[in-house]
Amino acid sequence: MRNAIIHVATEKPRLVYAVVLILALITGALMLRIQIDTDPENMLAADQPDRVFHNEVEQRFSYSDAIVVGLVNESHPNGIYNVASLTALHSLSLSILELDGVVAPDLASLARVDNIEQAGPGTIRFEWLMRDAPVTESQSLEIRDKVNRLPLLRDSLVSGDGQAAMIYVPIVSKDLSYRLSVEIQALINELDTDDAYHITGLPVAEDTFGHDMFVQMGISAPLAGLMIFLLMLYFFRSAPLVVAPMLVAMATVIISMGLLIGFGFTVHIMSSMIPIFLMPIAVVDSVHIMSEFADNYRRGSDAKAVISRVVEHLFTPMLFTSLTSAVGFLSLLLTPIPPVQIFGAFVAFGILLAFILTILLIPAYVVRLSPAALDKLAAHTRTPHTETLLARLLRRTGRFAMRRGKLITGAAVLVIAVSVAGISRIEINDNPVRWFKTSHPIRVADSVLNEHFAGTYDAFMVLSVDPSAHVEGLIADARDLLENIEEPYAGDIRALLDAEAVDVSAWFGDIVMAVDDAMFETSDDASLAALESLMFLAEDAQSASKYFQNPEALEYIARMQSVLDESDAIGKSNSVADVVRVVNRELRGGDDSEYRIPGTVPAVAQTLLQYQSSHRPHDLWHIVTPDFTSTVVWLQLKSGDNQDMSQAMTFVDEYIADNPLPAGVEMHWAGKTFINVVWQDVMVTGMLKSLVGAFGVVFLMMAMLFRSVRLGLFAMIPLSVTILGVYGIIGWIGKDYDMPIAVLSSLTLGLSVDFAIHFIERTRALLRSSGSFETASAHMFEEPARAIARNAIVIAIGFTPLFFAPLVPYITVGAFMAAIMALSGLTTLVLLPALMSFAGPWLFPEMHKRGAFGDAQPAVA
Amino acid sequence: MMKFATLLLLGLAAATAQAQGLTDADEIAERANAAAYYSGADGRSEVRMIISDAQGRQQRRQFTVLRRDVDELGDQQFLVVFSQPSDVRGTVFLVDKHVDRDDDRWLYLPGLDLVKRISAGDKRTSFVGSHYFYEDVSGRPHTDDSHELVETTDEYYVIRHQPLDPSSVEFASYVTWIDRATFLPMKIEYTNSAGQMYRSVEVFEVEDIDGIPTVTTSRVSDILTGGQTDMQFRFIRYDVGLPDDVFTERSLRAPPRDWLARPSD
Repeated sequence: MRNAIIHVATEKPRLVYAVVLILALITGALMLRIQIDTDPENMLAADQPDRVFHNEVEQRFSYSDAIVVGLVNESHPNGIYNVASLTALHSLSLSILELDGVVAPDLASLARVDNIEQAGPGTIRFEWLMRDAPVTESQSLEIRDKVNRLPLLRDSLVSGDGQAAMIYVPIVSKDLSYRLSVEIQALINELDTDDAYHITGLPVAEDTFGHDMFVQMGISAPLAGLMIFLLMLYFFRSAPLVVAPMLVAMATVIISMGLLIGFGFTVHIMSSMIPIFLMPIAVVDSVHIMSEFADNYRRGSDAKAVISRVVEHLFTPMLFTSLTSAVGFLSLLLTPIPPVQIFGAFVAFGILLAFILTILLIPAYVVRLSPAALDKLAAHTRTPHTETLLARLLRRTGRFAMRRGKLITGAAVLVIAVSVAGISRIEINDNPVRWFKTSHPIRVADSVLNEHFAGTYDAFMVLSVDPSAHVEGLIADARDLLENIEEPYAGDIRALLDAEAVDVSAWFGDIVMAVDDAMFETSDDASLAALESLMFLAEDAQSASKYFQNPEALEYIARMQSVLDESDAIGKSNSVADVVRVVNRELRGGDDSEYRIPGTVPAVAQTLLQYQSSHRPHDLWHIVTPDFTSTVVWLQLKSGDNQDMSQAMTFVDEYIADNPLPAGVEMHWAGKTFINVVWQDVMVTGMLKSLVGAFGVVFLMMAMLFRSVRLGLFAMIPLSVTILGVYGIIGWIGKDYDMPIAVLSSLTLGLSVDFAIHFIERTRALLRSSGSFETASAHMFEEPARAIARNAIVIAIGFTPLFFAPLVPYITVGAFMAAIMALSGLTTLVLLPALMSFAGPWLFPEMHKRGAFGDAQPAVA
Repeated sequence: MMKFATLLLLGLAAATAQAQGLTDADEIAERANAAAYYSGADGRSEVRMIISDAQGRQQRRQFTVLRRDVDELGDQQFLVVFSQPSDVRGTVFLVDKHVDRDDDRWLYLPGLDLVKRISAGDKRTSFVGSHYFYEDVSGRPHTDDSHELVETTDEYYVIRHQPLDPSSVEFASYVTWIDRATFLPMKIEYTNSAGQMYRSVEVFEVEDIDGIPTVTTSRVSDILTGGQTDMQFRFIRYDVGLPDDVFTERSLRAPPRDWLARPSD
């Protein structure tokens, strides 16, 4: 197989070119169908139970994605409660209302909400809180006083300190968020105001993120390519030699990304990094071949024969390095986060593709070079190599490693110990908003608004009861009564009872109305008596089914809220209990002592009936369902950090443990902040599985490749030390373990093992050919060590353009790539020879028998 | 003979008017207001309401409306008493509707045993959570709007109305399709300042009650939220002789049982 491939590549170079070109063109064309996906929800599979529930809750309470417009006035003594600020807010709110794509009925702003208040003794008034903008400062302060009496508005629509207000703009579809935020910004620009305006909200963040991702792919990835090109040019000083690996890298990236897009996968933040990951990896194999070719080619040699020999020679180690790297990334399939899985699968595919392209394209390229170009290539590359700074440094490193084997090993053990201590300090935390730089307008808006408000991050405690017991109860109770009811009424009622109670409220309503009508129409006394009994039972069951209209249920929620609001973990809570208490207070004269839940079901029902007699009756259904079987306690959090959300959840869990939910009530979490916690948990456990799985498979492959368990274990050392080291650093510097950090482990695994394979394979070959460990190790620090070091440097520096990426995850990956390369290069070139210096006989027992290790005794028996 | 001639002439005039149609928008609007809200000297009706949200989730309410006209096409009194669902049973609204000034409104909540006067103010708020407004229940005086006859079809007068005080209402204008024979508004479409038709009222059934064409089924749709409320009017009677003491605060706590009972004839 191997020879056949080499044969095709060297004999039919034009065919190879043509096939690769056609593939690249086709897949390149597929890339035009790119679809960006920036929804953090997609970190979970569409059928993941928490996500399904979250979406069900959004539907249940009719939540839309929303753009948040915040305005801040820190200079006026009354904050935003002044004529100018409120006039601007009023006019902006009304203008936004008219924009196409805004869910106008749900837009929330001081100008669009209702107030309920006293209007003289025994008189109550319902009206717009701010129908018209105030004309005098005292009117502005009246608005402040009204807001401060409405717990659902205070610290939600206007900050408690009065310095900031929000316009909450729900939109029909988040695809519109970019256009709408531009239009809103244009409206803001026209305002006559000195207040600071911020536009934020998840859809805006997602949109901006998508845009920045494009920038990253359009600029950072080509820049990384350029960087690698220049570096290789520096090392090899031959353009033709360097062009070939670049062609392989480009073809790999285009074909992999084209296929990803062509298969219909969306480009998520993870997959947008694929080009950056593939480029250096694709270059590495080609560099090995080209540099060995340059070393072996002499003026007048047969290029075809030399390149065939080189490829033959490197085929196995390259195949294994590619396979192991691919396994590292394929292991990501064990992490049940779709974007991570797609990333892993396509990077793995790209690595294998790069291997195939390397052994096809590079020989084809070399045989097509003119003899003059080949000579130049050989001339350029021969001399400087052996006497560069790098070459001298490596030789010295080699000698040092061999002499101070035990010392180095001791140092490595120490490093490992320190790293393990660092790992124990790792904080698992993520927050998609933090994927933006601190200076980014979205981060600024986030911090400014959360400084003033009780929190702009939402989490929903969803409380539910199952009303079916009441339905079944009525069906059972009605059975006997129906016997005594005359036709056609009995039949009509039975039909209604038999209907499936999909909408419990409608089901009970229909039955009650039918019984009511039958009571009026019947002239039969027995029927009337039975109907009256049935009516009594039906109304009872109907009322009982509306559980969250029950004062005890609301009292539980109100009690819980009073504790939650005291907690540092939660900014503020909002619920139907707040609505009932405010309306009850105003109905009963407005005294603060009346801010309480009235004592009976009818009293609560009638209070809510009043709340609904407003301009926004549908607002009630954002916190409780029309059948009152489910309600939401909306928590505002000041931070979207998973740690803070987890802390809030723990607090709630503890409260519920101490104060059990009323019988039959279930509590579940929903909300984007919660969803982030879910996918992060999935990721942490998934990544561990991926890492363990990949570690096992790579070890088996190593043992197979070297046909030795000992060498297999030995080959795992650089990647193990690197992974421990990198995560140790993360722990010690206090960087949160987030998504980009999580995928670094598989990257490390894939790349570090490459170095080990090359190093061990070459050492063993040199041992065999020279028969002496001393000679072999000296040779090791010539060309093989240079290839490894060059690769490490190329990859590390190749990633540096990521430092200039607009998004934090890319910067993180760029920074840690350098660390990974430095660590794994160092462990391979220093720790492995250091270990070999005393454990060599144990590692290579056959060579030891043949006396390759001289008089040295095996260190381990 | 003279009498007969007069009758004949009157009949001819009526027939002509019917055939050629009216052309004065104000007159049409006034007659529509009369047909929709002033039938008989008084009236009673039982209303069933099905309130549906965009997801089709429903709530049902049932209440009885007693109405008495103080002046023809002028002031009116309404008493609205809830009977379903049981947890709002006995809730009562009393409205003294005035054409030339703000209405007087009272509310009784039996669960809280509380009589409240509701301050005048916006009448274009939801009526008990439905998509009907208070003003749809008691009637918007035709004198609050200007009227323009847009089109006369075989069946309808199509009138566009514009508010005289635009700041007091949420609509920019509305268009009414008025049945040429009965003068009942059969369809109303409201347009907001963005030029969006955001709300509509449709009549599905009209029945002859005591010789008076009367709406018995109608629906209001909230285009923006996707919700709708269906109303079914039953047990309608006109000229039942409601005394004015039915429409006093006393009726709030002690609803007039006899007048609220369904007519069994």
